[in-house]
Amino acid sequence: MDGRRARFRSARDARDAGLALVPQHDLLVGAASVADNLALLDRNAPLFESARARRARVTRLTDAFGLELGRPDDRVDALPVGTRQRIEIAGALAGEPGVLILDEPTAVLSPDETAALFAALRKRAESGAAVVLITHRLAEVFAGADRLTLLARGKTVKACRIDETTAAEIGGLLIASAEQTALSEETPKIFLEGEEGEEPPELPLGAPASPDLNHPSKKSTARSAAGSAVSAVSPFTFEVTRRGTNLEVVGFRPAGSRAKQISLSLSPGELLVLLAIDGNGADTIAAAVAGLQPFAGSVRVAGAALPRSGDPLAFRAAGGAFVPADRREEGLVLDLDIAENLALPAPPGRLFLDRTAMRARAAEGMAAFAVRASSPAIRAAGLSGGNQQKLVLARELAGVPRLVVAIHPTRGLDLAASAAVRARLAGACGAGASALVVTADPDEAFLYGGGVRVVTRGALSDLLPEGTPPSTLGRLMAGLAA
Amino acid sequence: MSAPRRVLVPAAAAGAAIASLAALALLAGASPLDALRALASGSAGSRAALGETLLRSTGLVLTAAGACLALRTGVLNIGLEGQFLAGAAAAAAVGPALAGIPLLARAAMLLAAAAAGALWVLPAAVLAAKRNVPEVLSTILLNLIAATAVSGLVRGALRDPVGDYPQSRALPDAVRLAPLFGGGRATAAVLLAFLAAALLAVLLSATPLGLKLRAVGLAPAASRAIGLPEARLKLLAFAGSGALAGLAGGLEVLAVTGRLYDPFSAGTGYAGLAAALLGQAQPVPSALAGLFFAALGAGSSAMQRDTGVPAAVASLVPGILVLAVLAARARAGRSAP
Repeated sequence: MDGRRARFRSARDARDAGLALVPQHDLLVGAASVADNLALLDRNAPLFESARARRARVTRLTDAFGLELGRPDDRVDALPVGTRQRIEIAGALAGEPGVLILDEPTAVLSPDETAALFAALRKRAESGAAVVLITHRLAEVFAGADRLTLLARGKTVKACRIDETTAAEIGGLLIASAEQTALSEETPKIFLEGEEGEEPPELPLGAPASPDLNHPSKKSTARSAAGSAVSAVSPFTFEVTRRGTNLEVVGFRPAGSRAKQISLSLSPGELLVLLAIDGNGADTIAAAVAGLQPFAGSVRVAGAALPRSGDPLAFRAAGGAFVPADRREEGLVLDLDIAENLALPAPPGRLFLDRTAMRARAAEGMAAFAVRASSPAIRAAGLSGGNQQKLVLARELAGVPRLVVAIHPTRGLDLAASAAVRARLAGACGAGASALVVTADPDEAFLYGGGVRVVTRGALSDLLPEGTPPSTLGRLMAGLAA
Repeated sequence: MSAPRRVLVPAAAAGAAIASLAALALLAGASPLDALRALASGSAGSRAALGETLLRSTGLVLTAAGACLALRTGVLNIGLEGQFLAGAAAAAAVGPALAGIPLLARAAMLLAAAAAGALWVLPAAVLAAKRNVPEVLSTILLNLIAATAVSGLVRGALRDPVGDYPQSRALPDAVRLAPLFGGGRATAAVLLAFLAAALLAVLLSATPLGLKLRAVGLAPAASRAIGLPEARLKLLAFAGSGALAGLAGGLEVLAVTGRLYDPFSAGTGYAGLAAALLGQAQPVPSALAGLFFAALGAGSSAMQRDTGVPAAVASLVPGILVLAVLAARARAGRSAP
């Protein structure tokens, strides 16, 4: 640092040398007050300091950086994540560090606060400090940075001055490297799963996308988004479409966030794709609907209001099914076998497990969803990623759900397995369910056959017209104008 | 369980037991072979010896079963010792009052013991569910409270008005369980313990509830996402585990001591947990591990008498065994695919 070799033995060493880090998830002392946390973070704080001086610091920093930090005596663990993030930022800035590193600092900030933060960062840079900003959000880079380095899987894809490139170029590189990551995860398995002949999707991919009730003016877009699919809808399905909604989200945002409130509704038969770069809140919306995250606002599944604290049981009881992003951690009990996994959460049998019924259900599920395994007694851990995902779908779609929430359902799967997964979701919608699908792959978005909205910073775009080129989608995902 | 683990773990256990016994005998200046022979005859060489082993195994088998239920559901109940004491105190309180009707007294004692054990774990279970208090800490602290409470009870509310010692009133012989066979002190209590372990094995492997409990223990995140009532299942495992340990305490009073005194337990709850770790949280192997520990305890005094090897090996060997099993398990876990 400053042209000298520096070796840090601890975070404190680094801080004393003038290097400050704002971590993505705050590391504050939850049981201590805002004033005490800021005193700990401020490297210029004296060893002994009166309570009044500590309180005064809170006011001073609030005014200096335009960041709302809560009351000085508030306990930090009672504050929303956004405020805690702002405390970390203010604490780092307070020490006037020579090097300031911020990891996704704006994820929980409002646009005004983001602007205030960038002004403060600019000021630090102009006073001679180095500021490193780690972000997914392209717009932020072009709003204030001097140089950028694009990293993908630990490798530098591009490093240049900001005036030597354009947002469009970086957006393109970003999407391309994301696809590479998705493909490389299971590339060797393409042949393994394909050679036995993947079951062709036997159901029409086009699920009807009904007009969005909350946006009457978008009716025409919605119809055109559904496109040719509408003609494939049977009269019966159309009847169903008119009755009620399977998902109704009003004034929603994740608990403690300052993101814009969102509203959306899904009618029976409707499939909606939320397209977003990770970290923009699409997966949070989906996880909250599935009862795994607390939220503000209201979520109704098939008419039943779900508790705001998050309750997967209430979601299930209302007819919800969930395909989580991490099939190994959240989708399956890897140490149980296929039949046992398919039997959860309500195994058959009164006093004793009905193993015959379980085997029959497993055989049926494995056949219907093309799960390739020599027997239902194989542990789920022994299956390939594609087969694990099909096993999750076999379990989730068995009970004729009203709403399917799926997060990255094709991530890491080969082309054939991905097509099969999409066909299953469309098939469920054909049978009267609705589906909310989160994906980060613009090439895939329209393949689901439903409506597509882009999520940036927790905010929903309008329905996008079918045939919007992936490059345009990529720009929208990166928060740039189409 | 993967194949290497299934072979490696019992092999490690057996090797560690034999090696540690031999080493301890050598240290004491005796022949390892003589020591083992004395240990064997002291634990199973006669009716009296076998009776002593079975008698000692009752509490170990039941607390081991309690530990299995907790471990398989992913809760760490270190408080079996306290739940054992709570069960014993409840049985000692109820028994003498109903002495007139032996059958009723026995049933009431066992019910009260199981209920007391389940209640004693409840504060820890509720704190874990509502406040994220680690159950390892809360259950261990409840052990201390239980030991103190027993000490207070035998000097206060439950004190036998006749006699000088701080102990509860004795259970009449009509209520106490009769020996199972002549020449040994073992009673039907041991059968009840093994029956409980067998029933638990069936519950876990062959019932819908057991499958749900195992799922919660194996993959808590997936269980929540799948829609299993994780909190309720964990509470159930806590309570069941406490009830089994409480039952062990009740049977100790009913079949062995006939009354409560202070200190009452010589670490039965901790030894039961060790047996469950040795049995890899499988009820039947854990029951056998409990039986093995009981045999060590029963045979060790004969070994000391005949060969001079200190009886303390009875408490050393289980410790060495558990460490060996945990090490072998970690190793098998690494090499498994």
